[in-house]
Amino acid sequence: MGVSNFNKHETIISAGIDIGTSTTKLIISRFSLRNVAGATHVPRIEITDKEILYKSPVFRTPLQDAVTIDVAGVQQIIRSEYNKAGIQPSQIETGAVIITGETATKRNASEMLHLLSDEAGDFLVATAGPDLEGIIAAKGSGSYEWSGKSGQVVANIDIGGGTANIAVFKDKQLLGTCTMHIGGRLIEFENGIVRTISPPVARLLQDQGYSLQVGDPQNAPAVSFVTTYMAEAVARMLKKEVHAQDQVLLLGHEPNWLQSVDTIVFSGGISECMYHHATDEVQEAQYNDIGIQLAEALLQNKSLQHFTWQEPVETVRATVLGAGTQTTEISGATIQVAPHELPLKNIPIYQYDFEENLETGLLHFEDAVQQAVTLYDSAKEGQNFALYLSNLPYLGFRDVQKLAKAIVQIMNERPCPEQPIILVIQSDHAKVIGQTLAALHVKQSIICIDQINVETGDYIDIGNALTSGVVPVVVKTLTFHTT
Amino acid sequence: MNEELIQQITKMVVEKLEAASSSQTVQQPTNKQKVELFSKQPIGHVEVEKVKSSPSGAVTFHSTTEELKRNVSTVKPTPKTAYGKTKSKPKIDSEEDKLAEYRKKTPARIGVGRAGSRPRTKTWLQFRLDHAAAVDAVYGEVPDNLLEQLGLFQVQSRVADKEEYIRRPDLGRKLSDESKSLIQERCKKSPVVQIVASNGLSAKAIEENLEDVYLSLEQSLNNLNIEMGTTFYVDKGRVAVMDDIGELLQPDVVVMLIGERPGLVSAESLSAYMCYKPRHGTIEADRMVISNIHKGGIPPVEAGAFLGTIIQKILKYEASGVSLVQKEN
Repeated sequence: MGVSNFNKHETIISAGIDIGTSTTKLIISRFSLRNVAGATHVPRIEITDKEILYKSPVFRTPLQDAVTIDVAGVQQIIRSEYNKAGIQPSQIETGAVIITGETATKRNASEMLHLLSDEAGDFLVATAGPDLEGIIAAKGSGSYEWSGKSGQVVANIDIGGGTANIAVFKDKQLLGTCTMHIGGRLIEFENGIVRTISPPVARLLQDQGYSLQVGDPQNAPAVSFVTTYMAEAVARMLKKEVHAQDQVLLLGHEPNWLQSVDTIVFSGGISECMYHHATDEVQEAQYNDIGIQLAEALLQNKSLQHFTWQEPVETVRATVLGAGTQTTEISGATIQVAPHELPLKNIPIYQYDFEENLETGLLHFEDAVQQAVTLYDSAKEGQNFALYLSNLPYLGFRDVQKLAKAIVQIMNERPCPEQPIILVIQSDHAKVIGQTLAALHVKQSIICIDQINVETGDYIDIGNALTSGVVPVVVKTLTFHTT
Repeated sequence: MNEELIQQITKMVVEKLEAASSSQTVQQPTNKQKVELFSKQPIGHVEVEKVKSSPSGAVTFHSTTEELKRNVSTVKPTPKTAYGKTKSKPKIDSEEDKLAEYRKKTPARIGVGRAGSRPRTKTWLQFRLDHAAAVDAVYGEVPDNLLEQLGLFQVQSRVADKEEYIRRPDLGRKLSDESKSLIQERCKKSPVVQIVASNGLSAKAIEENLEDVYLSLEQSLNNLNIEMGTTFYVDKGRVAVMDDIGELLQPDVVVMLIGERPGLVSAESLSAYMCYKPRHGTIEADRMVISNIHKGGIPPVEAGAFLGTIIQKILKYEASGVSLVQKEN
């Protein structure tokens, strides 16, 4: 039987791949893990250092046509970049593939994720919804760090080809998010004339009484109207003054932060056009779209000047950096996992809240399974789920036994009761609950981890157990969004 | 004796007494004044107070809970202008937020406010309460029914009472002769794991946590198929009493669940000391410990579950403490 070694310095390799509307990039990094608890304490394994091993150039996202991603093309990029980095897919233990912006709505995005997971290594694959994208970009651009250092309300505005994702932080706490149809590729040009106009922009122009057709010249007044309007809309969004005519640019919910924004940070491809971090790289590619004009409009906008501007640490690579280095969490050190069941991918979470009372909590515990099945496996095809137990009261040993018995009982009511029992515990109780289940001689394998915060609707990937006994976990807050 | 001398001495004594009583009458108003400080009716030497509260190196407390404006203004009379456009009011709020954030991260008494140059009454009473709890923990007794419930019998160290326990750690490290024969009589010989409980410096720690840690540890060892000896309780024991027990019973591993020296954060924290083949002459570096087992630290049930895996490791490497770390790497 394996015995965990908590005191050994351990490293894992993480890959981040960002497939955006316009560009695709990849990053390989190495995490150092250490036991940060004192010698007399129960170990606590944390990521103590992150080192970037390789940054790929920025590639154009290969598309077969407007609605289909060229899977072979993406695979080709990944394969050659792994080669250049000197990394075998088998070495990669964690990380995330993020399909962002409008690309995520492309027809074969889901199919591609499955293929990539084989191609890119047996690591964790995630897709981001617009909110998560904004959060990941803010972590990659340095805004998240800066919000902790400065104590100010920092808004990160990540603008790529298709969408602008705003995430607002203060003291490293997320205050809110917002996503808009603002991006470089919303109008594309070819030989000096308009080649495509995206539907949201077409609607905006119609609402505002402008007319722009495919084939119109690149310097038509309607084009500069669009970029100026977009910059103004960003400013209004940051101030939470959403006008009725802005609704057409809004993707999803309205701004939902409460405190007013002090500092703004631009990241993403448009920010590269503003700050030129990568000028030494030869890929000042001709994107032939409104990107540069949009960057210019943002720089010129007077309303945006009311905020303090902070330059990002990363511009175009903010999201991929976030995906590669900020999506992995480490479970608590005292957990119980069946190693042969790992890694587990795309496990939906069902949260059951005990509201600090075991007795009353157990009264309706049975409903948890019914509801989880209704939610995730309505066709009873055997989609397993993880039960997240939150707000447990202080538990004595006899309470744990009572809880474990209840868990066995309700888990046997699943459509496929022989599937592993997957539990995520908010408090530090995973090991004792796992062992108590084992003592009850349950037939199923047990995966019982703790100290990960999730909620109903999240999906998690659980990686292979490391030498120290912990598992890397990637929490995905949303999968594909629909427009 | 010379009468003159007697007179002289008497005079000196009287003078001394007078001086003493007059200094007492001098002290009384200052005592009064201190009390008045809290009732917000300062009388007399206000300027003395000012002098007291102004030294630059003085430790200051500032409130984070109530009376926000008044306290903040005493701490920071001039709001910093370096922040630029931001108004001073949200800044105060954010400072409050920050202190609240810090308080969440530590049980230490930070940001608790002050009254004049002293802690506030509430803070002071809490401190006194925590201190009293610590003292009680040392002098308290483990209830008999707890030991009965768990089926533990009780033996004594060579210490006679609590005072001696504190003064003579060496005696707490030895078993009394009766205890030795009782252990010989009742315990399984040469078990793989011998578990021992002791009140140590906190009976409260045993009362609150022993059952959960013990039952969870027992289950963990059962799951791992590790044999357990006959568990018993040592009254007024020290950690190294495990050496005596090791000699008597010859176990592979001794686990000692013992009450920690109480502190002001928790008076009911339990430690689990473990040692591979403790015998007379065992060095301290070969003992290892998981401490901080209580409601506010590692949950007792989880600690018990974790101890099982540590014992498994000790048995695998046939070492504990520093030797284990060396063998492991």
